[in-house]
Amino acid sequence: MVTIMRFSEVKNQAVLEWEAMQQGDKTRILIGMATCGRAAGAEDILDTLNNELTKRDIKADIIPVGCMGLCYAEPLVEIIKPGKPSVFYGNLTPELIPEIVEDYLVADNHRPDLALGTRGEGSLPGVPRLFDLPVLKHQVRVLLRNCGSIDPKNINHYVANGGYEGLNKALKMNAQEIIDEIKNSGLRGRGGAGFPAGRKWEACYKAIGDEKYVVCNADEGDPGAFMDRSILEGDPHSVIEGMIIAGYVIRAKRGFIYVRAEYPLAIEHLQAAIAEAREKKLLGENILGSGYNFDIEIFQGAGAFVCGESTALVLSIEGKRGMPKPLPRPRTTEVGLWDKPTLESNVKTFAFAPVIISQGSEWFASIGTEGSKGTAVFSLAGKVLRTGLIEVPMGITLREIIFDIGGGIPEGKKFKAVQTGGPSGGTLTASSLDLPVDFESLSAAGSIMGSGGMLVMDEDTCMVDTARFFLSFIQDETCGKCIPCRWGTKQMLDILDDITNGKGTIEDIDLLLELSESIKNSSLCGLGQTAPNPVLTTIRYFRDEYEEHIKELHCSAAVCKGLVKAPCSHTCPANVDVPRYIRLIDQGKYDEALAVIREKIPFPAICGYACFAPCEAKCRRRELDEAISIKALKRFVADNSNGTPAGTSQAISSSGKHIAIVGSGPAGLTAAYYLAKLGHAITVFEAQSKPGGMLRFGIPRYILPEKVLDQEIKNVLSLGIELKLNSHIDKVDDLINGTFDAVFIAPGLPTGRKLPIPGADLDGVIVGLDFLRDLAAGKKVELGKRVLVLGGGGVAIDVARSALRLGVAEVHIACLESRETMPAPNSEIEAAEAEGVVIHPSRSFTKIAGNGRAVGVECVNVEWMIFDEEGKLHIETVPDSEHILEADTVIFTVGQGMDLSLVSDVTGIELTDRRTISIEPETMATGKKGVFAGGDAVSGPASIIEAIAAGRRAAASLDKYLGGKGIIDEILVPPEEITSLPETEEEEEGRYRPQMPTLAVNKRIKCFDTVELGFTKSVAIEEASRCLRCDLEED
Amino acid sequence: MRVSETKDTPDNVTREEEEMIISSVDAILASYRGEKAELIPVLQQVQQRLGYLPETALSRIAAFTNVPESTVFGVATFYAQFKLVPTGRNVVKVCRGTACHVRRGERILREVERQLDIKPGETTPDLEYSLETVACLGACALAPNMVINNKVYGKMVESKVKKILGNSGDHNEI
Repeated sequence: MVTIMRFSEVKNQAVLEWEAMQQGDKTRILIGMATCGRAAGAEDILDTLNNELTKRDIKADIIPVGCMGLCYAEPLVEIIKPGKPSVFYGNLTPELIPEIVEDYLVADNHRPDLALGTRGEGSLPGVPRLFDLPVLKHQVRVLLRNCGSIDPKNINHYVANGGYEGLNKALKMNAQEIIDEIKNSGLRGRGGAGFPAGRKWEACYKAIGDEKYVVCNADEGDPGAFMDRSILEGDPHSVIEGMIIAGYVIRAKRGFIYVRAEYPLAIEHLQAAIAEAREKKLLGENILGSGYNFDIEIFQGAGAFVCGESTALVLSIEGKRGMPKPLPRPRTTEVGLWDKPTLESNVKTFAFAPVIISQGSEWFASIGTEGSKGTAVFSLAGKVLRTGLIEVPMGITLREIIFDIGGGIPEGKKFKAVQTGGPSGGTLTASSLDLPVDFESLSAAGSIMGSGGMLVMDEDTCMVDTARFFLSFIQDETCGKCIPCRWGTKQMLDILDDITNGKGTIEDIDLLLELSESIKNSSLCGLGQTAPNPVLTTIRYFRDEYEEHIKELHCSAAVCKGLVKAPCSHTCPANVDVPRYIRLIDQGKYDEALAVIREKIPFPAICGYACFAPCEAKCRRRELDEAISIKALKRFVADNSNGTPAGTSQAISSSGKHIAIVGSGPAGLTAAYYLAKLGHAITVFEAQSKPGGMLRFGIPRYILPEKVLDQEIKNVLSLGIELKLNSHIDKVDDLINGTFDAVFIAPGLPTGRKLPIPGADLDGVIVGLDFLRDLAAGKKVELGKRVLVLGGGGVAIDVARSALRLGVAEVHIACLESRETMPAPNSEIEAAEAEGVVIHPSRSFTKIAGNGRAVGVECVNVEWMIFDEEGKLHIETVPDSEHILEADTVIFTVGQGMDLSLVSDVTGIELTDRRTISIEPETMATGKKGVFAGGDAVSGPASIIEAIAAGRRAAASLDKYLGGKGIIDEILVPPEEITSLPETEEEEEGRYRPQMPTLAVNKRIKCFDTVELGFTKSVAIEEASRCLRCDLEED
Repeated sequence: MRVSETKDTPDNVTREEEEMIISSVDAILASYRGEKAELIPVLQQVQQRLGYLPETALSRIAAFTNVPESTVFGVATFYAQFKLVPTGRNVVKVCRGTACHVRRGERILREVERQLDIKPGETTPDLEYSLETVACLGACALAPNMVINNKVYGKMVESKVKKILGNSGDHNEI
């Protein structure tokens, strides 16, 4: 005889247990034991915790819970002491556990330094409330309400928190009432396609059949998605309850949960939950005395992505190969499992149903947008600071998700793209960041909502490689039934393999587009129809990356193995062979090391002192601890070799050609150097009284000492190059029509500009580049007592630090960018701050205040700013944030321009929209025959090393133009003979880079002496030994 | 020598092994009804017991569920979970999901390959380790990930691989 349990009994029992626990005098410790917690080491934390409590004889209940979604902070523990708000501790290590136990459980110090936040009534000094943290503040937690708060293996916890109330209510309604409620709520399926749930329920309800089934699709196959896993692990009853309600509506007796076998913990929790529900008569025969019978079985998916497709999933449960049925076919709601009407939905769709029933459709429909109601759960992963699981109202923007909740991109790197919807979805770029996230907007932008995977990519992610990755996934997962998907995607993958290995052709891009169209149109199921999406969207938004791989054999993210030997040298614009010279330093061979650098650049010392070192940003050692100090090692070599410039002795036979070079900056002198080596006669024209261009007046002396600069310029000129100073060229025509066979113009961008805002012409408002140039020329510069530099780039920092050295009492910098996104190198910003420069980030300037002389700058605060891919600036300012930053001298460092007289009215030479010289990218030729151009005047403001690279390319191209082979590469040190990779010792983590010794702040701000003192031999050799030798790695 | 991914034949199974296979399979089949729909759960159970699906087992399962042997073979080869050759005592799965890919998971895979000297789909000659890749473990927030048996290792770096593989005794708990 079966006792019929009433819901009130179930509820009372649960509430009693829950309240006894809440009001008890025992401390409770909740520990996140979902898969992510375990992956972060929660099991070790649990063991240590148990030991520590036993050791001290502390009585406390340890309750394993699911995932709160703060995966970035795992392992995560919540300690609830009676009468106090609970305290969360994140990023725990076993070493921290004894401290927390001793300090907070034995004593009463809640360790604000370790605590993440509090929850519950009251507050604790020094600890924010958890739900006030940016990561949680913007969230609306419906499906995740219980995750991380209840014991998923204790049904009473679920019931005490409102669980099964939806079912209890539903059992008192008729099917149509429930369907109407779901319909009115506006709930759309959360598996990806967003089909209205109420309509599906109704169709299945109306379908004719003696038997019907409910199937929950928990085959979360999208790589990068883990919402369903977390819900099943952390709150399994919510899904079961939803399935029972659905079953009650369509009058099904059996339900199946199709879970991936890769989710063993989810399966375990579901099994436990099903058993408990049966015990409480919430599942099985005569549910809660209603006379309704329904039971649920778990079906373990055996590993096939295609089974996420409903017809394939159904076949899989039937014990067959999961291959989708071709269209046209009846809907699963009519002909589904064993050809019976089947209600098949995603985990989250089912989990919403009980809440909608218990709280009402109106409440649900009040959240979200017109077409997409309620909340959406996303798994946020990839290159974002706070990875994890989030639940937000539909309609929130991508920017809020990625930057406010996710905290933006780690390590100050640049946001590149976000992939939504997994392999079937698409890639969205910065210009889509303000899109509201809902079904319609995402699909309009070329992606899909998908089931909720959201993968953030930064500048270190290669989009071609990403497309290749998704296609190789599709190739693994295609069921093989239809040719377009099986073979078409194979062809696409082959093409992408070619491109990422440097064997692509430019026609391949169109071929990919063509293949994509036919695969989309002719594949049987969603898998094939959407397979080309990642390729299509990456070509749409990142075609330049495809072209870069094909034409230049370059992968700017330094990812594609076929193109990138070592990320550092690949990233270096001049491709200096970094690992090789670092190995030579390690061996104490400094002259050889210097020669290796000189194989690619004529200015090793200048770069050692002043390069912005993009190589370091891509150094693989960062994954272990920190990048190698490549720049500092280069300087060490330059300072410590005997200085004999190797490789200058090769015999030069004259070519009989004469080349004019306009500008003696890094681009001009580099071109001069290589062209002279090829036997051409060179004359360099320089407008200023000293050579060097930006090297001389763009880089302050405290970074690059004058004697280092002079020496390296002298080395270049010693090849027999003629230098004409104070020689401003008025018209390039004069050169090419005269004695010269070819001309290379590299005049740079020597003119700064002011922003066109009111007051820019007041006294005391000057331009940063003029200031630096005057300073370099030894002219006297008048500054006031309080200098405000406007701009966030390297020049702003140079100007500020120089002003300080001239004795200015107070130096400030204000810029549009946030502190983290200022374009100036962080090391330089920090050095400036250490010297006393005050930075005011996120300001937009409206006016320079003053009457005659400037007294300050009127600013508003910037909420956010971003440049879209067309380079257009978008700013959002904070309302009512107008304020004045006081200053008697305002220095603009907001842009640079060219002296246009050189090229204006020269037939053939054209300017770009950015007012730089237009060239043919491959040859660097201008429209005027024999005239080539490069450097900042072509690229816009760039760096020394980019100018050097431009000089190299120009030299090769000019040589070819003059009949040479254009080969400028030299081998100054015989290549190493590496027969076998040296036995790699265990590479330890946590070997950080050495601190660069610097001149004390109080000394350096009074003079222009070099701030950085350079490495000693022992430090340099130790640092060189940290190199991972990526270039020697075998494939 | 590596155990390659070739079809197992009754020829390389000894008589005792064959008897052991039959008795294990029959013990599992005893709790099923013999319906077609039970095929995948039965294959999962048998594989869990034996570590792989020997041909003898497939034949017996086919007879029991009344499904043609060819179809059983077709199902067993369709799903990534099923193995037709013996697997090692420890199964190392390296995640190749998107988040792991973006966080350079392929470097972890390469290091595991180097340490074990096998490629995905292979087993070490001493049958200690098998190496597999998996589409996604769903621990993306802690990428890159790998799993040994049922223990998940998050935020992997290459330098940890050797140490973790060395402690294989600890991987069995979930």
